Formats: sequence, structure tokens, C-alpha cells
Amino acid sequence: MLQQAGFVDVRVGEPCDTFAGASGEGKARLFEVYGYPFLARKPG
Amino acid sequence: MASELPVNPAALREEVKSKYREVARNPHGEFHFHTGRRAAARLGYERTLVERMPDAAVESFAGVANPFSLRPLQPGEKVVDAGAGAGFDCFMAAQQVGPQGAIVGVDMLDEMLRKARATAHAMGLRNVEFREGLLEALPVDDGWADAVISNGVINLCADKRVAFGEIRRVLRPGGWLQFADIANGKPVPASALRNVDLWTA
Repeated sequence: MLQQAGFVDVRVGEPCDTFAGASGEGKARLFEVYGYPFLARKPG
Repeated sequence: MASELPVNPAALREEVKSKYREVARNPHGEFHFHTGRRAAARLGYERTLVERMPDAAVESFAGVANPFSLRPLQPGEKVVDAGAGAGFDCFMAAQQVGPQGAIVGVDMLDEMLRKARATAHAMGLRNVEFREGLLEALPVDDGWADAVISNGVINLCADKRVAFGEIRRVLRPGGWLQFADIANGKPVPASALRNVDLWTA
């Protein structure tokens, strides 16, 4: 989707277990939900 | 086109407002996600930068990862925070860009904006400004930003193509989008995608 929006040099960082220990952990585990950092650049 | 979207954008926006209004008013309440200093530590934010912030700057933070982990901001950069909430990532950004840089935090919730502005004033940050607005219509001039940051907000936009288009518009050529968000490894059933209540659950 980032590339379709016109971004280049797209990178995705390591997953983060965002919901571990929170009440949303069960649903997060069900759908394998993690937080990620994303980086992309608008062409110069 | 809105008719192709799984949920009504306006209905989703109201659901999101209801959830995060509570995070602004009662940051130590029970939520399905971590908040505050506990969340910042879990997500790998630089501890020394977080420790020097007052509680008001951190307590309503509800991010999902660290948007600065793949690229630290550079001194003097102009930054937009799309969905700034109570301003935590803006205050993190301000420490990285320094007094020559500038931060514009955009949020749709009055409660968050009031809290963010009061905190920026208390911290003496003259280069951090908060504006009311939507990701789908950012109140920022074309090509103004060197970088756009965001944390856990784009996933709450019904039309992500419009949001990414707006972010691209406000970035200068060669500018950076660095954001944090959630992604699922297993597909979510279509029936759940159409249920507005589940988007913030």
C-alpha cells in the first residue's frame, strides 16, 4: 500500500509484542497482531 | 471511494474518539493496550529521553511501536505527527530536532489537543504546535515537512489510501514517512472488518 501511494525505499522493522500483558493480548494472539515500525521515503 | 470501504469512516471516527477521549481524561484506566511510561518502555523508547518528560507528557501515550527506531530525526527537521494524541511523540521529536526544528502535531480530539498544548507550554517548547484536523485532511501546507511520524493511528483510518496520500502531500520531495502501526499475521474475518466496534477493541 505504501508503494501504491507513491513511496519508495520501504522498510519494516522488527515486530514488537505490543499487547503482551494487556487485556487485549488474547485477541492479539488470535490474529497474530504485533506492532511494527515502518520507514518510507517520498521520491526526491 | 467510501462505498468500497469496510466501515463508514464517520462512524469509525466517532468510535475512535470515544475510546481515546477516555485515554485523555483517565490515562490510568483499564484499556486493552498499555499506556504511559509502561508502554514507552515496552516499545523501546530511549529511556533517558522519556525520563526527563513530565507525567502529563507521557501518561496518555498509547502507541504500538517506536517510529524513531528505523530513523532518528535530524537536528533542524520540520516534522508532522499525524494523530498526535496528547503529544508524547511530538515531545520526543522535539528533543531530536532541537530548537531549530519545528513540530506540528495534528489530532481530531479536543481533549487531546488541550492536554498537548498545556504540556508543551509547561515544558517551554515554542517550536511544538498542535492543530485540530484529520489524517485524511492534514492542516499542513504542501511539501512543508521533512518527516511525518505517526503511531498506532493509520490502522484506525477507514480509507488508508487517502491518509497516505495526505502524508505524501505534506512531505517535501525526499522526505521521510516513519510510523508505527499494528499488522496481523492471520486474516481477520470480513464480518469483523465490517464491525466498527471491533476496530478499537
